[in-house]
Amino acid sequence: MANHKNKYRPRPSLTINMSPMIDVVFLLIIFFVLVSHFASAELVPLELPDPDQSQALNIKVTDRVIINIRLVAPNDPSAGTLFSVGPIPPEPLDTIARRLELHKRANPDVKVVIRADKRTRYADVRSVMETVAELGIEEMHLVAHIGNSGEQP
Amino acid sequence: MTDRHVPTTGVTTADIPASDHAPTEEVVHFRPRRKRTQRELTSLTLNLAPMVDVVFLLLIFFIVTTTFKKAEGVLPSRLPSQGGVADQYDLPITPITVHVIGKSDSPTEYEITVEHFVNRPTTFNELSTFLNEIQANPGFDDETPVIIRSADDVLWDHVVGCWNAAVRAGCKRISFGTE
Repeated sequence: MANHKNKYRPRPSLTINMSPMIDVVFLLIIFFVLVSHFASAELVPLELPDPDQSQALNIKVTDRVIINIRLVAPNDPSAGTLFSVGPIPPEPLDTIARRLELHKRANPDVKVVIRADKRTRYADVRSVMETVAELGIEEMHLVAHIGNSGEQP
Repeated sequence: MTDRHVPTTGVTTADIPASDHAPTEEVVHFRPRRKRTQRELTSLTLNLAPMVDVVFLLLIFFIVTTTFKKAEGVLPSRLPSQGGVADQYDLPITPITVHVIGKSDSPTEYEITVEHFVNRPTTFNELSTFLNEIQANPGFDDETPVIIRSADDVLWDHVVGCWNAAVRAGCKRISFGTE
């Protein structure tokens, strides 16, 4: 008889309290939004070269200094070229050379990654490469878009 | 009719003590089975509306904020440790020198010439195949230096295209030169 009665006792409510979950989800969203923003700060938006059947490799370059080269006005190449190191605002080339020198002194294995807009003139990129070479930095990487596959014709 | 409604004793069923009616008590406590299952089911459903609200909000948030970006990669290269970019190979090997010249009237076009070779590849795809053909000749292999000499006004896009073609052809020593 007692057993029988227990069966009919009203059960505790089974609904899930969602508010902590929503709290956590929003926290994660804000975290990722901020982190992704900081991570892409040194990758200045520009139009990268997109060669046919690109051989560009998706490798993680360590000890790198990114040099961004872009045009002041993309439609007017005579307006000038901007050079910048990572997220730092554009600077003249000799300031960049001094920065690179400090990097080279702190870490002799430093690598330079050249991210140049595809519309820049070769002369501008060459001047950066010459600066890099004069400092004795041997490894240099050119950034290009990755093709859909590396298949051979 | 009236005889049945007014009992002579004046005693109703409710007035009878419970102990005298044990079977009746069982009947009162019995709940029909169907009713019980219905009640349990209602208590088990989750209220999904808030979750769906949040999920849609997140979905819209991510659709709006996502920018689809083409992946970028690197073309590894080495600079000569001594001297400028234009490296002079003091080696018996003749380097393959590729010239890229921009057309003065339209900067988006380019011309490719390979020094000492008559063939003129017009596109970077052709240049890649051409470099492959050169490598098959005696005296040339994938270690043969390839120097890309480019005019100052050539777009960087074309220079990278040239470099990419050389990498595609399997050349291992590629460097930059100046026109």
